[in-house]
This record gives sequence, structure tokens and C-alpha cells, in this order.
Amino acid sequence: MFYLGCVWLIALGCSATAADEPFDFGQQIAPIFEQHCVRCHSPGNSKGEISLATFDDLESNEYVIAGDPGGSYLIELVTSQDGAPPSMPKDALPLTDDEVALMRRWIEQGAKWPQKIVVKERSKADASWWSLQPLNVTRLLESSSNAPKSESRATTIDDFIRAKLNAHNLTLSPRADRRTLIRRLSFDLHGLPPAPEAVDAFVNDPDPQAYEKLVERTLDSPHYGERFAQHWLDIAHYADTHGFERDQRRDNAWRYRDYVIGAFNEDKPYDRFLQEQIAGDVLWTSSEQAVIATGFLAAGPWDFVGQVETKSLELRRSARALDLDDMLTQVMTATMAMTVNCARCHDHKLDPISQQEYYQLQAVFAGVRRDERVVSDTALKQYEEKRNLLIAQRNKLEFEIGRLEGQGLNLADIVGGGNGLGTGTYRSAIDPRNAKVQTSDFGKLDNVVTNQFSPSDFEFIDGVFIPDGDVGKADIPISSTGITIKGLPKTSGDAWDMIRNGPVASQHSPELGGINFTEDGHSLLGLHANAGITLDVSAMRRRLIGEPLALRFTAKLGYFGAVGGHYADAWVFVDGKQVAHFPKLRRDDGLQNIEIELPPSSRFLTLVATDGGNGFSMDQIGFGDPIVKLDVAAELTSEERERHAELRRERLEVMAKLDALGPPPKFYGVVAESAVPEVQLLTRGDPESPIGDALRPAALGSLAMLNSELGTLQSSEGERRAALALWITHPDNPLTRRVMVNRLWHWHFGRGLVDTPSDFGFGGGRPSHPELLDWLAEELVRHDWSLKAMHRLVVTSEAYQQTSYVNDGADTVSARRIDADNRLLWHQNPRRIEAESIRDSVLFVSGKLNPQRGGPGFEDFQYQEAYAPIYTYITADEPALWRRSIYRYTVRTTPNGFLTTLDCPDPANLTPTRMTTTTPLQSLALYNNDFMLRQARYLAERIKQDVGPEQQAQITRAFELAFGRRPTERELRLAEDFVHQQGLFALCRSILNSNEFVYVD
Amino acid sequence: MSLVYSRRAFLQSSGGGLGGLALTAMLTVDGRAGSHHAPKAKRVIQIFCPGGMSQIDTFDYKPELDKRTGQPFDPDGDLQFFASKPGNCQGSYWKFRQHGDSGLWMSDLFPKLATCVDDMAFIYSMHSKTALHGPACFMMNTGFTLPGFPSMGSWVTYGLGSEADDLPAFVVLPDPRGLPPGGIINWGAGFLPAEHQATTLDTSNPGQPITDLFPPRDFTAATPETDRAGLEFLEQLNRLHREPRSGNSELDARIKAYELAARLQLSAPEVMDLSSETAATQQLYDIDHPETGPFGRQCLLARRLVQRGVRFVQIYCGAENTTAKKIRPNWDSHEDVVRDHGYWGTVLDTGASALLKDLKQQGMLDDTLVICTTEFGRQPGAQGAEGKGRDHNAGAFTAWLAGGGVRGGVGYGATDELGFKAVDSPTYSYDLHATALHLLGIDHTRLTFYHNGIERRLTDVHGHVIQEILA
Repeated sequence: MFYLGCVWLIALGCSATAADEPFDFGQQIAPIFEQHCVRCHSPGNSKGEISLATFDDLESNEYVIAGDPGGSYLIELVTSQDGAPPSMPKDALPLTDDEVALMRRWIEQGAKWPQKIVVKERSKADASWWSLQPLNVTRLLESSSNAPKSESRATTIDDFIRAKLNAHNLTLSPRADRRTLIRRLSFDLHGLPPAPEAVDAFVNDPDPQAYEKLVERTLDSPHYGERFAQHWLDIAHYADTHGFERDQRRDNAWRYRDYVIGAFNEDKPYDRFLQEQIAGDVLWTSSEQAVIATGFLAAGPWDFVGQVETKSLELRRSARALDLDDMLTQVMTATMAMTVNCARCHDHKLDPISQQEYYQLQAVFAGVRRDERVVSDTALKQYEEKRNLLIAQRNKLEFEIGRLEGQGLNLADIVGGGNGLGTGTYRSAIDPRNAKVQTSDFGKLDNVVTNQFSPSDFEFIDGVFIPDGDVGKADIPISSTGITIKGLPKTSGDAWDMIRNGPVASQHSPELGGINFTEDGHSLLGLHANAGITLDVSAMRRRLIGEPLALRFTAKLGYFGAVGGHYADAWVFVDGKQVAHFPKLRRDDGLQNIEIELPPSSRFLTLVATDGGNGFSMDQIGFGDPIVKLDVAAELTSEERERHAELRRERLEVMAKLDALGPPPKFYGVVAESAVPEVQLLTRGDPESPIGDALRPAALGSLAMLNSELGTLQSSEGERRAALALWITHPDNPLTRRVMVNRLWHWHFGRGLVDTPSDFGFGGGRPSHPELLDWLAEELVRHDWSLKAMHRLVVTSEAYQQTSYVNDGADTVSARRIDADNRLLWHQNPRRIEAESIRDSVLFVSGKLNPQRGGPGFEDFQYQEAYAPIYTYITADEPALWRRSIYRYTVRTTPNGFLTTLDCPDPANLTPTRMTTTTPLQSLALYNNDFMLRQARYLAERIKQDVGPEQQAQITRAFELAFGRRPTERELRLAEDFVHQQGLFALCRSILNSNEFVYVD
Repeated sequence: MSLVYSRRAFLQSSGGGLGGLALTAMLTVDGRAGSHHAPKAKRVIQIFCPGGMSQIDTFDYKPELDKRTGQPFDPDGDLQFFASKPGNCQGSYWKFRQHGDSGLWMSDLFPKLATCVDDMAFIYSMHSKTALHGPACFMMNTGFTLPGFPSMGSWVTYGLGSEADDLPAFVVLPDPRGLPPGGIINWGAGFLPAEHQATTLDTSNPGQPITDLFPPRDFTAATPETDRAGLEFLEQLNRLHREPRSGNSELDARIKAYELAARLQLSAPEVMDLSSETAATQQLYDIDHPETGPFGRQCLLARRLVQRGVRFVQIYCGAENTTAKKIRPNWDSHEDVVRDHGYWGTVLDTGASALLKDLKQQGMLDDTLVICTTEFGRQPGAQGAEGKGRDHNAGAFTAWLAGGGVRGGVGYGATDELGFKAVDSPTYSYDLHATALHLLGIDHTRLTFYHNGIERRLTDVHGHVIQEILA
């Protein structure tokens, strides 16, 4: 800004010489208003009463009288009166004499203000801002040539660090010892402590390249990806639920998490890594991993109530605007550390990003929404084929087994989509209006058409209907073959909820006659009046026996609604002939035993509930334990018994295969809207106030070396995202690379060269070592965007390997005076490990860490379905819950309290830097939490197992496991006394709470 | 004075570095904001009624609506509310009367609170940016409709620290039935350091009111004696570790944190123990009543907490995600205002009136700011087939304040004649927050924290102190 400001003045100075030359308002006068006035005097700013954005206020209030500068109040305001400073601008430097002179002459010459020019406040930084400039190779060559090094040697990180330290009379601290180094490296790259054996091996390795080899080993471990995925997911504000009010589950989100872990482990080139996450589904349609990568765009929170549930379109537009803002902000801050979100309501006040550019960027994402998505149609097809095949095999086996065991088919299970033998889903249901499968709860049904038969796709269900007998007059169709029934009473014609495997929505109780039909061993076919269902008996017969034999239908029928004036009718028909009728059934009537023979020739069994003529309220008819089975159970022959055993073996095999198949190939990502909606600029960010023409997709114009065009109004949403991905990763884009190498630096040193890793604008920090930053950014491309290569560069530097100890010597006192903040890196920064690292390290040293990688997250909570589901945390005390924290199922509204207390951030926020606090609540959590106490006990058990009962050996082992070193003499003496009195468990508990355990030197 | 001195002395001895500052949540220091001007209020108790309290049936008297009851609210059918299209106009289900010297109106839903009216200032013209529970709760608590921003209590403790050295600075008492819409991040620290998040006190578990305050009872290896011995050993271990690392004051802070934790173990159970209160006080809060008792206990506990130096206490009068079926678990009365507001009104009436009277008796009302709010209001048009409910209304609701420099017996702003929209001095959460901070001695424009490119504020870029309700 200051630089450009000078240019303005020079330009103005030149034109001032030619007094009668016509004015260029935009070039000469507008900048004066822009610089001095519009900050306060703009529309909507109540500070300055009038607006200088346009000519209107100046003219109407006679601040400016064309041709009469002396009579123009504006001139009076900006010039000194009676020796007092000018009254405008307030609290700022006055206008220069040249500027005032220009202003006078402009008024003199008629005060022309072209209508189209609107003066706006300028951002503090403009396109000349440091981070927007090309990587400065020349500069770094010059500066690195100042660094003390021989001609032949290549430039290193240390050259830059040393040059700065020298300039301030500082030096690097000595190299840390090997024990410290392996611990530092292990926490940095794995988030775990090193095993004692690994420490010994490294400390005693005679190879001069021992450290470099250690670095390679550490980078090769899959723990590396697990560690760095956590960093990346922080930036993506990833979690496994939607957040907001309902906070529902996102059960397939984990595939994106696994993608990130895999990408780091296989050292995916960083440019490709970004391209896949922004537009992998467009750029590499056939790569499943590239498609899953777009889970990045959907990683943040999503407001179901605002976008789907509410009927108010205005509320939906508002929620959608914020949703797009979240997506766009995440992409731009993660990749380029540009805070574009500040330009949603007005031009960016600090950085050169206009409000229009914001909406042009929004136009890139306007065509997508967050949703579950299949990895690929082929993958889903293959998965489903495999699964269906296995299920068919299992069903076949189960039928045979069931037949041999004389077991029948459960009709409730069949309603729940099952095979009658327990494969159905509890509370899954069939819609009596159309036979569709439904899983959610309904109340009173809309759009009911009575006496309309809807055929079902289920093998054993012929179809469903909603009856209204119209006082016996109506013919009610009840089968796909055209059978009708007559003689049913008049009903209200209303229906409630679905025909369910289990109680219906808001059922008064699932209990009747002393039996709770939701308990194990029981089942309930919920049939709220008015509804009917016809079952296909011949299909069952075919499956059960394949012969025309008689079957039997048994059930315990009842009215499950409340006592009082409520009652309903229940009916059973076989092939359209009424075989049972229970008029005005009430709760007080208890259970009715049903035993109905289904003759060999019978085809359809029909169950009906009607409302008894007093309205359908409470009419919760239910068939308890509804079974169709062979009329006469057969005796088994010895061959049949053998066959039975064989079938059961086969079934186990098939079940194992089904288990191994895992969850379906779906992930949580973005899907395209049917058309890309037009994007307009929204005045003050208000979705109800769009203004101007539809905007083409475009990136930021301030990066002059790049073409900011990303397409036309006709571009598909995929083309738009692909164009943005390529713009962000363009080799000439200086920000993307600077930002990533700075993030890596931050993760290795605890602070970036720029200490605001997600803000490279005016509001952020300035680089402590700008030359080094640019050199690293160049190195990234020289190493084909390999992040592992960058880790190598950093962790093998002397700056990284120096000690973090700072004693109280004279050198330290002086160094502190010069650079108390350690911005110049005269020592390494000691760091407290993050919440997840603490948890993982506890598990690691207790020997309980479950190394299982990938797949659905572990749930250390009990899940309870509700309008807003309830997540109740439990103590993680079984192997399935002892996996690394990266595999945790993270819940947004109810985060894990233990980890939150230890500074685990809220995944509503983009978190470029973790904060460290020290609080008494943390002490309580580490000292008293059930998980910690149990792990301390496991650690004690492990130690006893490792080294036996000898006390000194136990103490030594505890120190080795937790700290990677042996105890000193003094520590040993102290610990011996302590263990003697309080036992080994108490020692382990204290050690897991110690500063040394949670701080890395 | 001596207390303040000793805390300062401690901070100096701990090196005053990052770790030292990190302890402010339990210590008084010259906070980030400190005082910008002389404060009127030293502490805050905020009652939050989630679900959307109806302004029409409580505080905002609308005789014109009563007259129009039964006539279509939206004859042209243009409006679409959160879940429904409006039905007929429906006046208050409770009769309104004037109360106190001020003669302000209040409905018969609050017979006890009505006797406090001369101590209360009402903002009739509150409105919200959204009619969705979660985002609106976030807005009321944090100034933003999105999750991830610090709540007012976090900002206040970030600015002022605590007066107590043995209790957390910011305490929240959720409804025993469950969490409010949006969950626990309603009192989260957002991007502020985690020390500024609220500490939840579990009123139903007096033995373990704070998570992990003590080892689980069934973990028998951890006895009080081993606990103490373990802490002593831990300190020795930490001091040995500390010796060669003189530059790192965070290590001292962490040693100190274990001492403070031990103090909290003594003070927290003490504050939870309501039996030391007089029978008259217990009766005032009606703490043994099966329905209103739980909220009464929370209010009494809030008074005990602020009495012991806690800076900010937030009480929830209603929940969200619970499986309770009988009535709505909060004020969200879509189907039956009489049933649900009737229930919750009695609950609020008893607890809140007791709190105001008790604070006054104890001489604490003058420097304790009490705020009662909800996330949005309800519609003057009826909802539901039977027309017994009311839908969400972001356009208008009422908040009230008392004590702590607030002028009693005044009303500010107004809604239209039907109570549909705030028309006179419409006020978002910003002005309420700015006013509360002002009373605490903080200029809301100067309490800031840098996060991802922006110097963030509780009031975003908005907010004016409502001078009209200041004493």
C-alpha cells in the first residue's frame, strides 16, 4: 500500500504542472478519497455521517459547489483554519498541500465525478504484498552467497539459519545427544515415543550415518502417515459427524481419513495430493483413491436442519451460503493461506481480495453439495454382487438348516427385509401406501389412497394396502392376483407410520401379557391401523420344503396402545377368506393366541388392522412372534443329521466371508447438483440481497503471474474445480509452495518461519527467514513435490538437531536479550506433546496399543438414536478401543472430554496450529481418569512380565519405557522408597503424569 | 488485597511465561483486557432457556394480538416459517398484568418473577439471524451462527481471569435432562486457549461434580493416601527433571497445576453441598420439588459459585437431545404452548425469582449481572392442526437483565403490534454482549483474539452498549 501510495503521489505531482489539463477523476481525485475519507465516510458506516463513495452526498449537502472551491465546505474541512489542524480526516494525517491543491482545481473545473466510479476503501496490502511475489531466486542466491560456505558445497538450511544468527551475534546450540534425538524424531514423525530397544540400537550404532538411517527408518514406518494425517485433518476440520443441532453420523467419512494417511505414507507428490482433494473425481475418474480424496471438500460441518429439515427457503439459502463459505475457506486457507472468507460481506480490508473475487471463487463450488457418495459405480456393483451372492448362499444354507431343525419363518423379520431367519433389520419397515422400504419414523401419513394394492419386491411379501371397507360395500384388493375382500367396516381412511419389524413410531409400549416383544427371542410385527399386508405363502413353501405340504401360522396378537377408550379390529384372511376376526380389541384384552392352518394349496396370508370406527389414534395392533412353519415337524435321519452339521460349517464360512467384505465402498464427499446455480455478488453477504450479473468462476487476480480465469458461465462444476486445482498447484503459484514448506517447518519446530501458517496476508506474521522460505519452496519442486524429501532436509539440519536445553549461563542471558522468542532458532523449542499423542503414548508404553490400521473408526462412546443422537463416552478398556487416536470416531457436538481437556481442538475450526495450555483440569484428567488409571495398572503388569519381581529392575524398566532412559542414582533411590511404600502401580501412575513424559526436549 | 498480592507473587515466581499465563482461568491476574473502565459488575450469572421462549406469552404484552385471535395471521399465505405456514393469530395463553412501581407488564406464567420486575430491565426487541436452534444458540452464546467460536463466558474469563484461586473461572450447569441444541460447544472456548472453556458441574453427582475430580470409586488401588503420596513423588520427579531446563517456565506451571488441582478437590465438593444453606433459602429455591427442584438447585449453586469468586456461571433451563417423552424437553413448543411453556415457565419462575431475591438479600445483586435469554422467539400465529403450538420466530424475542449496574424496571425496544418482528431498536446478540462486557468494565471492541486472519471479537464488527438500561 505504501509503495503504491507513492506512485500515486508522483503521478499526481506530474499532472499538477499542467494547470488546465482535463482531470482524470479516477486517477487523480478518487485515490485521495480512497486513502483519506472512505474508511469512515462510506455507505452503511454510521461513523461518518455522509458518504464519499459517490457524489450524491457531497452535492446534496453542498459540501462541494462546482466551480467554487472557496464556498465548498469540503475544502474548509481539509484545510487548516485559524492555525488549528484541519478537522478532517479525523485522527489521521492531514491531506498534503498538493492533494488539497488538486482538490481545489477539481472543484474549480466543475467537480466532474463520473457516475460509474464508486470509491471504496483500499485494502492495507496490495498485489505487491510479499507473499504474492514470485519466489525470489536472485535474492536468495545473493543472500546465500553471504553465508559462510565453501564454493563446492550445496546450499543447506543451516546456511540461512547461521547467516541470520551471525548477523545477531548468536550461534546454534550444540547437537542434542542421541537419546534426545531419537525421542524428538519419533514424536515429530510418529507422535509416539521410541521403544527402549530402538533407543539402545540407535545410541550404540557405530555407523556415522546412524542418524540419517534412523530418519529413513522413521519415514518408512506407517506411523508417519498416521501422524501427519492428523496435522492435515486439523486443517480440513475433519470429523465423523455432521455437527450442528442434529449431529448425525457420517459412517463412511473414514475413507478420506485413510486416503490422507496413505497419501503421506506413499509420499504422494504434494501437487497431486492437492489436485486429487479438490478435483480428483474429475481429473482421474477411474482412480478410486483420487475420487475418495474429494472427501476433503466435505470434511467440515454441515447443517442438516438448516439445509434439509426446515421448510423455510430463506433459512435454507442462509445455511447454504455459510456451507459454501466453509468449503471455500477451507480450500483457500489450507492450500494458500489466504483468508478469502474476509471478503464475503465487503472487499477484504487487509488483503487485495475483492468481494467479487470471493463470489467468483464461490462459483467454483456452487455446483456441489456434501453427501454420501459411492467410490465408483463399478466398485459398488462388484461389492453388491459379491455381497448378494454371499447373502443368497447364506440364506439358502439357513433355509436348509431351518428346514432340518423344523424352524419356521418369522414374518416380522420378513417385514424388516430379512429372510425370515433373522437377517432383517430391526424397525425397518414397509410403507403401506406404496410398499417402499422405510427406515425412519413417520407419524400420520400424507397422501393416503385407500383400497389401493401396492406390490412388494420382497420375496415373501405379495403387497400392502390401506383398507376402508365403506360399511361393507367396498371391494378391497389384497393380492397381486386380483383377490379382493369385502365386508370390512368404514374406517377413518387414515394411517400412522409404517408396517414395521418392531414397534411402530410412538408406540405406547412393546410389552403385553408380561412379554416385552423387543427383547431377545421375541419379535413383533407392528401393524398400526389402518393397514394390511399380504404374505406370499407359496413362496415360503417353495423355500421351506419345495413340496405342497401344509404350513401353520402362529402369533400372539394384541392391542399395544394405551388403556382407555382406545380399541381396534384385527383380521386374518387366507386367500381372501376371513379365518379370524378380533373386533374392538383393547389393551385390557391381553394377548390372543393365533393358530391357523395354511392348506397345501393356499397362496396368500393377509393380516389387517382397522380402526374400530373411533379414529385411528393409538391403534397399535401387533402380531407378537409371528411364525409360519411346517405343520408337522419331521424326524431327522442320520444322513440328515450329517447334512445338518455340514450345513452349519458352510454357514460359518460364508458368514466369515461376509464379515471380511467390510462396509460398502462409499465415502462422504461432494456430489454435483443437477445444474450449476448462478452465483451473484451478495450485498453485505446477505443471500437475500444478490446484486449484479452472474459471475464467472475465477481465482484471485492479485497473483499477477497466473491467469485467474477458471472458466465461463457455461463451465460444468467439475471443470471449475479442476481449473481451480490446477491454478492452485501451478508451478508459478508462489503461495502454495511457500505455505506448505512453512507448515512442515511449523510441525518440526513448533513454529513456522511465518508464525501464522494459515494466513500469509497482511494480518498474519512476516517470515523470520524469507530467503530460507523461498529456498525451501524451490526445493519442494526440485524434489518433485516430495514431502518426505522436505522432512529429510529439515530433520537432518543442524538447526533441527540442536539441543533445546537453555541453561542460565552468560551466553544464554545475552541470547535471551537479543532473541527471547527464539525466532532466529538459537536453540530447538521444547514442546508438550498433543492430546492424541499423550493418549497414544500411554497405550504404547503400557503395551496395549492396538496397531490395527485403517477402516471404520473405533467408537469410545455409546450411541443412542434420538432427534439429536446421544453420544455417551465410556472408558476405553478393550483392544478395539486401543487403536491410535487418528482412528477415533470423532463427534462434533460431543467431543471426547479427556482429549478436549488436553487441548484437542474443536473440529468446527480450521486448526493450523495447536495450542498448549496448562490447567488443573488437565492434571485431574491425567491423574484420575479411569482410562489413565487402568493403563497405569497395565503398565505395571507389563513391567512385571518384562523383568520379574526385582524392584530395581522394575523401576529401571519403567523409566526406559516411558522416558527412553535409565533412572539416575537419585531417581532410583527416590523411586525405590516410593515403590516400597505404594507399589509399582503408583509409580507407573506418577510417571505417566510426569513432565518428562509429556514434554519433548 | 493480600489475596491479589499473593497471586501476583506466584505468577512472578513461576516465571511469568506462557505457562504462567495459562493459569489465569484459576487465578486473578491483570488479564488481557483487564479493565478498560471501572466495572459495575464483577461476575455474571446467565440463564439460557433453549428451544425458543415465546415472547408473546411471557414478557411482551400485545393486546392487539389478543383482539385478533382467531383471524388469519397471514391472509395472503406468503409466509413460510421454520416448520409450517402460519395459522390464525393467537394471543397470549396467559393473562398479562402490570407489576411493581414500574408498572411493567408480565404474564401470569411468572407470578414469582413478577414481584422482581422493578429490578429487571427488558429488551423487547431482540432478534436473531436464524430460526434454527443450533445456529441460533451459537449466535446467542458466541455472536456467530457457526460452531467454533468462543462463548461469552470464555471471552469474559479470557479478558478478566477469575477471582477464585480454587475454583474454575467459567462454570456451566447444564439441564440435568441433557445438553442444549448444538451440544457442549455452546460453552466451548472455540479458538481461544482451551483453559477458557467452561467447566461443567454435574449437579446430579455431588461426589464427583467435576469430571475426574477424584479417581472412580471402584478403582480401589487409588486411595486418598496413595493419591497424596503419588503427587508428592510426582513433584520430586518433576523438580529433578526441571533442574537442567531452567529456561522453560511451562514446566513450573505444570508442577503448580497439580497443586491447584488438589485445592479444587477440596473446594468443589464444598460448593456443591447445599445442606449448609438455611432452610429458608432451600425453601426459596424449592430445591426438593420433583419438577422445579433441579433448576432451583442449579440457581442456588450458581449463587454459591459466584459468591466464591467464579466469574461466569451459565445455567440451562431446558435440554435438547434427550429421549424424555412426556413434554418437550425444552421451550420448543410446536404442538402445545400451554403444556410446554406451562411446565418450563413454572420451572424458570421459581428458580430465577429465588436467585434475584437471594442475591439481593446477600447484597450481591449490585455487582452480579444476571442475564436471562433464549435463542429466538415464537410466532404470534398458531401452529399445528389444533392451533395449540407456535413455530420458531427469529424476528422477535425478549431478554432480560438484572443487577450489576442494570437499571431496574425499564423496557428497551419494541416489537410490532402483534409481536411478530422487532421494529423499535432491533437488537442482535451483539448489543446484549456489548452491554454485558461494558458492565464488566470491558470495551467490547478491544477484547480481541487473532484467529486465521482476523482479530476476532465477541461482537464481530457490530455492537453498541445499550445505554438506556444502564443504572
